[in-house]
Amino acid sequence: GVLAHLEMLEFQAHREAVEQEEKEKRKEKSAFLRAKIRELRLQRDQLREKLELLEKAQPGKEGIPADPALPSPREVLEWKIRNLRELLQVFQLTGISGKLSKHGICFCLRTAFEGSFLDSFHLELLPRPESREFRIQRHSIPPFIPLEQLSRKFLPSDLRGFLDVLFQHLNAFVGRRHQLEQFQEQFSEWIQGIPHCNSLCNLLSFQYRIPGKSGNSVFQTRLLYGDPCRSLPTDVAGSCSADPSPAFPEHSELFRRLALPRAFRAL
Amino acid sequence: MDDSICQAYEDEIQALEEEIGLLTEKYKDIQQESTFFSDEEILKSIKSLQRETQGETEGHKSPSDLKTQLESLETDLSFFTTFTGFQFASHSKKTLERTRNRTVQKHRLSGKCHSLSFQLEFQLLEMQNNEKLSGVVSDLSIIMESREDSNVSKFVSSAEEHGNLLTFFRSLSTYAGWYEHRRLTFLHFK
Repeated sequence: GVLAHLEMLEFQAHREAVEQEEKEKRKEKSAFLRAKIRELRLQRDQLREKLELLEKAQPGKEGIPADPALPSPREVLEWKIRNLRELLQVFQLTGISGKLSKHGICFCLRTAFEGSFLDSFHLELLPRPESREFRIQRHSIPPFIPLEQLSRKFLPSDLRGFLDVLFQHLNAFVGRRHQLEQFQEQFSEWIQGIPHCNSLCNLLSFQYRIPGKSGNSVFQTRLLYGDPCRSLPTDVAGSCSADPSPAFPEHSELFRRLALPRAFRAL
Repeated sequence: MDDSICQAYEDEIQALEEEIGLLTEKYKDIQQESTFFSDEEILKSIKSLQRETQGETEGHKSPSDLKTQLESLETDLSFFTTFTGFQFASHSKKTLERTRNRTVQKHRLSGKCHSLSFQLEFQLLEMQNNEKLSGVVSDLSIIMESREDSNVSKFVSSAEEHGNLLTFFRSLSTYAGWYEHRRLTFLHFK
């Protein structure tokens, strides 16, 4: 009856009010976003102009410097701070770098293979002057690297020697792992099945064929990297499904001499 | 319908903010790389800043903050120079490219390792992939005084061939260390 009808009208009015409110909100939000976009575009255009002027005002080029104002002492110091930070970053490229912490030294060991810089490892050492020891506080060295053994052999008297040898272990490990990754990426069609490798990446076995050359023969190879500080194998063994294969000794020689991806390029 | 328009606005805002970020970095790069202040100018600035803001500590980092940061960096550099034997005399760089994930910079570096001096030029491409930072060196050119020494020229040529900057530094460190040790031994017996 009348009550039900009134209820319905009330419900409708309420719903219309809610819709109206939502519409207002959306309009507000839209206007807000548009204003923000205008503001950001202005900021961006100003920066572009500033940058153009600065690029034109390079020493040796014609043009009036955009901002000939003398730098404030604060700006000079901030320049020097950034300059030193960048120099410390360059230090990282030498392999062994780091920074001093409150109680000790944090070493950063940056590895590389040929022209590519790869993983960094960290090691924090606390000197204990009383016992004339160095204690390893924190590190990110993987467990299959003989950290404990090396520290017992070299520390505390020969910190440089310790770091040099540790670095060689880490660098060779990352180099072997990188070779495997590159090889799998670049020669995926040549590889049969999945190469097997241990965590230290010093024992590797895989099967391959040479598309277009080896026909149906599949080569099986096992590489042993006997020296943990080197990234080339000391022992190469293998066989070929088509026996005997005259090519295998040649392949063997390449694996012994060249990094894995390069050896394959030469096949 | 309105939602997709708002989304488009928000996407544009994000793109603009990124672009502004990049432009600001580029501007800072050029300013940094085209300026040079001598050590005297640095000392003068430290003194003048201390005088200027005696007692004032609002807004920017206080001068003692900047001074502390500077000293901490200099201490680190000095320690590692002594420890590794690498002393850098000059370093300049120019940012050739800077995008969200890539930076390409050309570096000029000169210095010595123990008593052996070197001068290098190289290009470094740095990329951020997920959490990993990787760097690739190219166009490596190395000048060393003692290049006539066959040991030195061997590791220099092989490093230049593959852009192997790290191997160059490590080999130089080992060789210079040995060379220094030999030099000191001879001095001892003189």
